[in-house]
Amino acid sequence: MRRLGDLEAEIMDRLWTWKRPATVREIVDDINLQRDVAYTTVMTVANILHSKGWLLREKSGRAWAYLPVRSREAYSAALMEDALGTSEDRPAALAHFVEHMSDDEVSALRKALRAAGRRTSA
Amino acid sequence: MSPAAVLIGYAVLVGFLVPQFLVRSSWPHRAPALAVAAWHALTVSFALTVALTAYHLAAPDEHLHAGLVGLLHSCGLASDANSTNLDSADGLSLAAPVALMVLLLGAFTFVLGRARWARSKHRRVLDMVGRRSKRLRATVVAHSLPAAYCLPGRCPRVVVSQGALELLSAQQLDAVLEHERAHIAGRHHVAMAAAQAFANVFRRLPLARHAQEQTALLLEMIADDRALRCHSREALATAMYEMAATKAPEGAFAAGGPSALLRLQRVLTPKAGPHPALWGSLAAVAVTVPLIPFLVACSPGVG
Repeated sequence: MRRLGDLEAEIMDRLWTWKRPATVREIVDDINLQRDVAYTTVMTVANILHSKGWLLREKSGRAWAYLPVRSREAYSAALMEDALGTSEDRPAALAHFVEHMSDDEVSALRKALRAAGRRTSA
Repeated sequence: MSPAAVLIGYAVLVGFLVPQFLVRSSWPHRAPALAVAAWHALTVSFALTVALTAYHLAAPDEHLHAGLVGLLHSCGLASDANSTNLDSADGLSLAAPVALMVLLLGAFTFVLGRARWARSKHRRVLDMVGRRSKRLRATVVAHSLPAAYCLPGRCPRVVVSQGALELLSAQQLDAVLEHERAHIAGRHHVAMAAAQAFANVFRRLPLARHAQEQTALLLEMIADDRALRCHSREALATAMYEMAATKAPEGAFAAGGPSALLRLQRVLTPKAGPHPALWGSLAAVAVTVPLIPFLVACSPGVG
């Protein structure tokens, strides 16, 4: 059973890739190439995305044409800023592999790596 | 000496002197999990000492054992057989210690809750924007800056940026992902939240500051060790260097401290863990430390 969130992501994925407004019919037809999905389901979820602030819509004939409010790149950049930023929540909220560092610290790291390389090769 | 004076002496020892000593010791980096336990034992011990001191200052004539029963009772730990003995004076002297415990638990719940809220907000966007990779068991975000992190807790996610995928070799990437999965499996965010909550309540206390910094570093070392179980030291160390060395744009991103260098040196020059006897006695001390405030205040000749 697919979750609602999966369909949301599928719809956003298509609109981001197409980079133009698209109607629910176009989205349904494209998803139907891979799996069956009901027109009304996609319409409902597109509506939800609109009310959540992910999609804009404009009249296209008798149907709505949807387009993303912001590009995927813009969301990715905001996401990375949230993840790597200096927010007070961050230490308890998520753990990084390693922080980005100043030049001095990077050269200290490089020295440590070189020293280890010499030891193992000697 | 009054129990309160002894307890205050002990609080100074645990809150100010022991942290200085522990930060300079070498064993914590060789047994990071035990060291995390030790730091947390110290914070619990300090909090109990402050609570007991407050109790003794409020009721200097009471014998401690009645107070102890009262304390345990108020925490719901003891049977209520003695409940009838608690009169209003007891209630008054219990107010401060109980308030402190409520404050600490409240701070812990608050930090955990706020972090969970921040993560679920982040995850909602991530699930929309990122691409799930079944092969990597991670979510890939289209961003040129190399980064890898995890969202622990419910519905955990391991996240890597496109930049990290392009920068790292397959072996390096696997080691990094294993490191992140270790944070999730070990529920490291709970230990981090506890240390942060303690630091929020006891601001400026050396123990609180050191416990928070050291817990963060030691948890990274634990995750490094997990990654090294199935990946080479070289892969993890070079991945660390590559990721740390990329230039981040100014401003928006936090800079790392000296912890990466400590971790890198530790990964490159493996040292054996402490001798089993030392390990055992350190573990015994870590278990005992939270009980010491009670023992100190109860010992004969005191109280």
